[in-house]
Amino acid sequence: MSRFEAKKPSLCKSEPLTSERVRATLSVLKGIVTSCYGPLGRLKQLHNGLGGSVCTTSQSSALLANLSVTHPILKILTTSMQNHVSCFSDCGLFTAILCCNLIENAQRIGLTPSTVIKLNKHLLRLCISYLKSEACGCRIPVDFSSTQILLCLVRSILTSKPASMLTRKEIDHISTLILRAFLLTIPENTEDHIILGESIIVPLKGQRVIDSTVLPGILIEMSEVQLMKGLPVKKSDSLKVALFCASLSGDLSDTGEGTVVVSYGVSLENAVLDQLLNLGRQLVSDHVDLVMCQKVIHPSLKQFLSMHRVIAIDRVGVALMEPLSKVTGSQPVGSLGSISPSSYGSVKDLCTAKFGFKHFFHLIPNEATVCSLLLCNRNDTAWDELKLTCQTALHVLQLTLKEPCVLLGGGCTETHLAAYIRHKTCNEPESILKDEGCNQTELHLITEAFCSALESLAASLEHDGGEILTDMKYGHFWSLQADSPSIVNWPDLLSRCGCGLYNSQEELSWSFLRSTCHPFAPQTFLPHEAAGSANYLTLDCFTAKLNGLQVAVETANLILDLSYVIEDKN
Amino acid sequence: MNEKRHMGLQQLASFAETGRTFLGPVKSSKFIIDEERHESVLISSTVRLLESLDLTSAVGQLLSEAVQAQNNTYRTGTNTLLFLVGAWSSAAEECLHLGVPISLIVSVMSEGLDSCIEEVVSLQVPVYNVFDHMDNTKTFSGFETFSVSLGPFHQIPSDAGLIQKKHNLKDVASQSLTIYSLSGRPVKSPKLFRHQAKVEVDKDTSQTPQTLKNSLLADTCCRKSILIHSRHFNRTDNNQQISKPDGFLEQHGAATPKTYRCNDLVELEMGLSHGDHSSMKLVDNAIRLQYQNANMQQGNRTMPFMFDISRIFTYCLPGLPEAFSCVCPGYITVTSISSTTLIKELQNQPVRVVLIEGDLTENYRHLGFNKSANIKTVLENTKVQQDSSEELWINHVLQVLSKFNVNLVLAQGNVSDYLIEKCIHSKRLVIGSVNGNVMQAFAEASGAVQVAYVTQVNENCVGNGVHVTFWGSIPLDVVDMVDRMAIMLKTEGINLVTVVLTSPVTAHMQAKEDRFWTCAYRLYYALKEQKVFLGGGAVEFLCLSHLQILAEQSLNKRNQVCSGWLRNTSSWLASSLALYRPTVLKCLASGWHRYLSTLIYNTASYSSEFEASTFIQHHLQNAIDSGSPSSYILNECSKLNSGIFNSGISNKLEQIARVYDIVTPKIEAWRRALDLVLLVLQTDSEIITGLGHTQINSQVSEGFLFL
Repeated sequence: MSRFEAKKPSLCKSEPLTSERVRATLSVLKGIVTSCYGPLGRLKQLHNGLGGSVCTTSQSSALLANLSVTHPILKILTTSMQNHVSCFSDCGLFTAILCCNLIENAQRIGLTPSTVIKLNKHLLRLCISYLKSEACGCRIPVDFSSTQILLCLVRSILTSKPASMLTRKEIDHISTLILRAFLLTIPENTEDHIILGESIIVPLKGQRVIDSTVLPGILIEMSEVQLMKGLPVKKSDSLKVALFCASLSGDLSDTGEGTVVVSYGVSLENAVLDQLLNLGRQLVSDHVDLVMCQKVIHPSLKQFLSMHRVIAIDRVGVALMEPLSKVTGSQPVGSLGSISPSSYGSVKDLCTAKFGFKHFFHLIPNEATVCSLLLCNRNDTAWDELKLTCQTALHVLQLTLKEPCVLLGGGCTETHLAAYIRHKTCNEPESILKDEGCNQTELHLITEAFCSALESLAASLEHDGGEILTDMKYGHFWSLQADSPSIVNWPDLLSRCGCGLYNSQEELSWSFLRSTCHPFAPQTFLPHEAAGSANYLTLDCFTAKLNGLQVAVETANLILDLSYVIEDKN
Repeated sequence: MNEKRHMGLQQLASFAETGRTFLGPVKSSKFIIDEERHESVLISSTVRLLESLDLTSAVGQLLSEAVQAQNNTYRTGTNTLLFLVGAWSSAAEECLHLGVPISLIVSVMSEGLDSCIEEVVSLQVPVYNVFDHMDNTKTFSGFETFSVSLGPFHQIPSDAGLIQKKHNLKDVASQSLTIYSLSGRPVKSPKLFRHQAKVEVDKDTSQTPQTLKNSLLADTCCRKSILIHSRHFNRTDNNQQISKPDGFLEQHGAATPKTYRCNDLVELEMGLSHGDHSSMKLVDNAIRLQYQNANMQQGNRTMPFMFDISRIFTYCLPGLPEAFSCVCPGYITVTSISSTTLIKELQNQPVRVVLIEGDLTENYRHLGFNKSANIKTVLENTKVQQDSSEELWINHVLQVLSKFNVNLVLAQGNVSDYLIEKCIHSKRLVIGSVNGNVMQAFAEASGAVQVAYVTQVNENCVGNGVHVTFWGSIPLDVVDMVDRMAIMLKTEGINLVTVVLTSPVTAHMQAKEDRFWTCAYRLYYALKEQKVFLGGGAVEFLCLSHLQILAEQSLNKRNQVCSGWLRNTSSWLASSLALYRPTVLKCLASGWHRYLSTLIYNTASYSSEFEASTFIQHHLQNAIDSGSPSSYILNECSKLNSGIFNSGISNKLEQIARVYDIVTPKIEAWRRALDLVLLVLQTDSEIITGLGHTQINSQVSEGFLFL
């Protein structure tokens, strides 16, 4: 007997943003992301409260993936952040904080959403065209003939994730490794278009970070029993490889529903094993030297192969299949039938290596654009964080290769951009007013909201109660101890700006970031030698930040535009 | 989301407090009682403690994760780790109370520990050539013979050493062939060693502050005169002079006075035993057996002997007096008494062996094999044989075994009882649950190849020459082994040593096994790294005094030096670093202070921790006043009875030996401890995800926030 229940009516709420609860949860979310931001950010412990594993992190990707949000407005926000992070890896927190700031500021000024949205869009266009223009004063072109800028970029990313628990020496070591791993993925002879290889991160938990290393080729973990069997002598200058994605364990492939009836004396297992051994015979007669299988190989087949001096490596895992196929040039075989000769590939050499307590097969390909980054860290939490960080850094390097420039980090880009926008709208408001059809006051209020959103984003880098200043020449970010005595000795109290490009000794004047100051024109056109002058610059990925800016503004606009939330309660 | 203010640090400190008594050579055990199940465990190590505690909170999880990681990687150092976690979380909390910004605590503490780690390099003692004197009959046997054990050194004419060293210089290639016939083992290439030493020199010169170095220079001269008084050091001093032609020691001596070296196995083991002589004696016996075996295997080897810890196997026999603990070559296990006659028959002949990787049962399938559930076998014939399929399988196994004339089967997994019984009838011995390393050793020594199924067995897989005997060193009637007996399996030249551990108290068995492995791993790392620290708190004391000096230095000359301490940050923190640095360094140092005073208090020579603490304070002042803590420590160490670094272990003067510590595991334990504290310190909130939601709902009042 089935029972029908009357459908519940849908729930409709108007003006969701005005509700107290939504504001409260938004500010909690903002509190979380803001407190995580930057190299001095605070960490969060994520766990399920039931004794599951604990993840200590300050990265947006780990944070957003684990946050369970309930309100639709927050869902919009977290989903668009996650989309950004999945495409660009970096600048997730930047995007989230900026978006929250924009929503908060827009609510405070109390103008109609449509005006705010219209002008926000215009200001965003201004920002983007400035950042992309030659005149941009916070962008540095990347010179791929030297490692300096790239190393700074990687180092900035590593430094901004404190939960990886690296010391300064370890940061230098890992940055070099990441850069080397990235360079190993670039093919040597480039024709029309470059196809980048892949860096595989191999875990080695519990060892010292300083023991991490990069090797060209692929590392496959193996047991000690396998090590005992040793490697056969190489017959020629390369090894012939067969790669299987089908299981060779000898079990019956899915028999579907129902029962298979077998008469007594017939053994299906033996039948499959015979098939496997036939396959083995073919491999041997095809002079294959190395058989790799994603899943398990039946011990009898292994024994047969090793008797014929064929190396069998099983349980390679799905993650390695694509790089293996790419490196060896072999087609993964998915059936136990006969194998077409074209699916075989080759590798240059195979040797064994030992790192920590683990033994590995080291596959050395003919043309290597695949490398293995053997990553060590002291404990699981820190290792997970370091792995995410390394992936981010490698991705950022790829993005930088596509768009060879970087932005100044450490809050300087944000304050500089805010100063530029303020100056621009103050001095040339006519075109905007005409285009968008709004009045001077509205423009002023919204510009102020937009710029202060950027500035308080920069100010979120401070977590220990310091004051934020900006200089009136470059519009860069400076931090100062709270309650500092007087303006006179500011040059002595301040050392360098956030990105490390300028120091305080060069005749600058400062003002507090949150004070209302007269709009000024920050110096544009970064001199070429600027990039080479400082050794330790804090840099950000250009592509990721630009996209983050767009996503933040567009998401904020979307959320501001919401006038009804309709929930289906069934 | 649960907002909290450094409850984490307090939690850490209170967890760590439980492990306070494990520090040092004199440990007190604990009883852990499970009130629900009325079970209790006796424990005396951090790992076992954390295994028994309920650590469901996030911080507790992180703590146990850190301890597990240390234990899995190094098997030692967990007590230190736990204690320092506690000491430093209190220290970090103290800093918070004093108003130091969190980011500064993090960077100063982390750099402070780095600086300590660089500093303690001067207390490293190189370990090498320890196997040179192995052929002597001298073995490790506790304190009684230790003074005697110095004897052999004096028997070697002092010229011999000199000739050796000179030869090394002239001809590196020939050394292994000719010179070392004396000892039967080539010395590690001097070239290599020199290289290593140079690296250390470079480090030292770059990192020791100038003032300190000068005082060290001055100190080297005066210290020599002191050392000569010690009979113990006459030889090391000689060595230094001898090796001067090498060119490095001179140079080295200029940077750091390092006249210590350890090239005697017994001395090393003594130093690393940390008071647990009975376990170390077993380790000593084991390594000697391995060494002899290795020597027999290859008469004139070129490979240096390595202590292979994976080929040591422990076997626990609870219920016997401790005195029955012993070390034997080969594999010792127990079998049921029903195979007595079988073993009697087998024991006079070499038998052939098969090694099975998994279980030896009919239903066993290799890992990764998925059995289809929906296959049904039907009988077409009604007059089929009565045999069950298991019987068929057993018959098949027996056929294979008899075909290849195999009398012994070792399986890593379980073995069907029925099969064992059947095999006994056909004069074959089957042993299940054999350790993987043991299987390896038998595979190497007998030539057998491990297989997953009996059907795989062919002539190439069968091993030869295994001897099966009763293991007779224990009078069986003593034990309540009514239906079991111990047997020994051995092959000519098998690289496997079984350590039989006995204890009259069953509850102690686990602890005893743990202690054995701790000693074994300590020795293993000492030999592997070829260096040890001066132990007994010497390194920690140097850290303490080094941090005190750093703190005072930064008090005196503010705004200097520390530019590098906060990583290329342009934050205001960099400029206010000098203000807080002394405070944080002192707090970090107080962690070492607590460590040392607990250590000394635990060794029971002081009646209160306060007394121990003042004792340390006194020495600390001396060390700082002397201008060079490291040479002060070296000095104190050389006075064997001075009390600070050798205190409490023994009262009798002639029985005091030097205490050593292992290097990397110790330093890693420090780092892990500090990492954990700083990780928790930087955490400002806990986010509970997923299903926990509904439960939390009921306790809204406690400051939870929802998203």
